[in-house]
Amino acid sequence: MTGRKIGVVVCQCGGNISDYVDTEKVRAEAAKEGDVVSTQVQMFACSDAAQQAVIQEIREKKLDGIVVCSCSPKLHTATFRAMAERAGLNPYEYTQVNLREQCSWAHTHDRAAATEKGIRLVRAGIAKTALSRPLEKMRVETLPQALVIGAGIAGLRSALALSDLGISVHLIERADRPGGQVRRWGTLFPNDKAGKDLIEDLVRRVHERDNIQLYLGTELVERSGRVGAFSVKVRAPTGDLISLDVGAIVVATGFEPYTPAAGEFGYGLDGVLTLPELKELLAATPGPLVYRGRPVRSIAYVYCVGSRQPAEGGTQRTYCSRYCCSATSHLATVVTGLDPAVHQFHLFRDVRTYGKYEALYERALKGGSVFLRYSEEDLPTVVREDGGLVVRIHDRLLAGEEVEIRPDLVVLVTGMIPRANDDLVRNLKLPIGPDGFFREVHVKLRPVETVVDGVYIVGTAQGPKNVAESVATALASVSKAGALLLKGYVDLDPLVARVDPTLCEWCGECQTACPYGAIDEVEYGDRHIAQVNAVLCKGEGACVPACPKAAISVQGYTNEQITSMIDALAKEVA
Amino acid sequence: MKVDTGFLESLRLGGEFDARLCMNCGTCTALCPLGLEILPRRLFRHALLGDRERVLGESEAIFSCLLCRLCEANCPAGVHIAENVRSLRVVLNGEARGLAEA
Ligand SMILES: Cc1cc2nc3c(=O)[nH]c(=O)nc-3n(C[C@H](O)[C@H](O)[C@H](O)COP(=O)(O)OP(=O)(O)OC[C@H]3O[C@@H](n4cnc5c(N)ncnc54)[C@H](O)[C@@H]3O)c2cc1C
Ligand code: SF4
Ligand code: SF4
Repeated sequence: MTGRKIGVVVCQCGGNISDYVDTEKVRAEAAKEGDVVSTQVQMFACSDAAQQAVIQEIREKKLDGIVVCSCSPKLHTATFRAMAERAGLNPYEYTQVNLREQCSWAHTHDRAAATEKGIRLVRAGIAKTALSRPLEKMRVETLPQALVIGAGIAGLRSALALSDLGISVHLIERADRPGGQVRRWGTLFPNDKAGKDLIEDLVRRVHERDNIQLYLGTELVERSGRVGAFSVKVRAPTGDLISLDVGAIVVATGFEPYTPAAGEFGYGLDGVLTLPELKELLAATPGPLVYRGRPVRSIAYVYCVGSRQPAEGGTQRTYCSRYCCSATSHLATVVTGLDPAVHQFHLFRDVRTYGKYEALYERALKGGSVFLRYSEEDLPTVVREDGGLVVRIHDRLLAGEEVEIRPDLVVLVTGMIPRANDDLVRNLKLPIGPDGFFREVHVKLRPVETVVDGVYIVGTAQGPKNVAESVATALASVSKAGALLLKGYVDLDPLVARVDPTLCEWCGECQTACPYGAIDEVEYGDRHIAQVNAVLCKGEGACVPACPKAAISVQGYTNEQITSMIDALAKEVA
Repeated sequence: MKVDTGFLESLRLGGEFDARLCMNCGTCTALCPLGLEILPRRLFRHALLGDRERVLGESEAIFSCLLCRLCEANCPAGVHIAENVRSLRVVLNGEARGLAEA
């Protein structure tokens, strides 16, 4: 007994729980726990009426802790924290026990055992609540300034849109000119605009803005601080370090085209080019296509080179690069436009000219392109024989019969791969997916946010995209950054790690364990100790078991709380 | 088979042959009242890929076709099948003339 006054609400979830767990028995057992002064069963605890009843109970009985035994905390933590707050209770004195996903739904075959388990889970929740302390949200200021890394089309577009909102932008670009890949490609699908013109127009607008500063040949070398107030250092081409204070960081560092291995589909042979190489060749030569002084009469394209690979090996290139089917179909129409007599053969696995880009595929077909399908198990081959290129493929529409093509050019339709950016990843603590691209928090609902608050990933840095998609994510990040920076402050959850300065002897173990760089070494009297940057800390607790002195714990999940929960779970068993 | 771009060019010159939108579904073959198996889809594929020998080797089927357009009326891809058969006849005639002259 701790002298706390805890209330327990057992939810039936309209039968989802009560069909398999005896909720009345769970309530009765909860009522026997020392600190519990109020218990009730609700049909739907999350309903307005039930919340109102609980609020009334909290007020009348002057409860100082509340346990709701219902569904997954992922679903309703925010709901019930808000309910506790409306009742005048500190929201961090609320605990959710998962009687549904972790009990009733998992044990539909055994009501007695499910009920027994439910009772233990509830006891643990009560034990944790008995040791809870009121915590306050951390309100921190945000600066109306942003850093955009990478001045490709995504970075340029982000910078302009941030500037529109009145947010000042530092736009840093590693190369000595802005524009990224798009500048190289000549005419782009879907509307035949030249990449160079698109870029030059954006760059001109960037230069016109007073609140955008473009730094070329510049890279990020250091980042510290927290969401809303990062301190970064960038290195200019002169070698000088420039310090900048920004509230948010947009990462728009793009992709790299895949480079085939020597011999991969004949790469390295005279006349075998990648799609980027052909795009550059076309952009550089006016009029019909000429290669090494000879007019090109026929082309064979091999699709999916470097994309959609089997899942073996280290970094996985199982993904579709998205842009390439559309870009190649479009390119075929450009080639036909220059010289309708050129024969074009497309060796594809699947045609993925999705959405509106389907029109490009049809245009290519109507322009005379012939499509031949190959499968992952049976790849086309490219060799040089008798002074010419020979491509062989088993045509599925001819029941696998071998078709031999002797084209003037073979074009490997290479995919996108992540750009090597180790320093940036280290400095920003950016999470990377199994494919090597930067990883978002939630694929559907939070597509441009990362686990590092205030750091956004846009364009092809996050994964393969065409220009329109890259720009769409660039603008999405601006709405996220705008919402963060224009309010002027941000409220952060206080469920973060905390160091007991009397126990800590600074060995650095916690700093090594922390994936978010949230632990600093600071002076404390004549000693050095660890200090948690509460704003960077995600409260995930990797540091806790690493500390040999048990000097660090996560608020809301202290060692004492966890131990008492284990005791409560194992009561009568151990 | 070997793609013969020269033959592809003579197909182009020969007239209106255009089977690019054919998706090889086989509706035409199934419907053909003469049961011409090779026509039109296999044949069209050979033609699209410039397989001169095979197309010439199917002259009997090409000239047997009734041009009834039953297949064409039902082709989901809207291929002008009869027109194509006709232009293949033109090409075949041209080739035969060429052979006779040579
Ligand atoms: C051959 C080819 C043809 C294509 N054709 C089309 C088309 O016709 N239509 C279409 O819609 N899409 C097309 N695409 C896709 C298009 O290129 C991309 O969608 C677009 O380039 C993505 O822009 P981005 O800004 O994300 O990346 P990028 O263009 O790669 O730009 C990223 C920028 O970030 C910079 N950078 C990288 N790391 C750092 C760092 N650490 N610090 C500072 N700066 C850094 C780079 O130097 C670069 O300037 C094509 C792609 C290829 C490969
Ligand atoms: S877009 Fe097309 S060529 Fe590119 S990886 Fe996907 S399926 Fe292959
Ligand atoms: S019905 Fe039309 S699309 Fe189908 S195989 Fe015949 S010609 Fe091709």
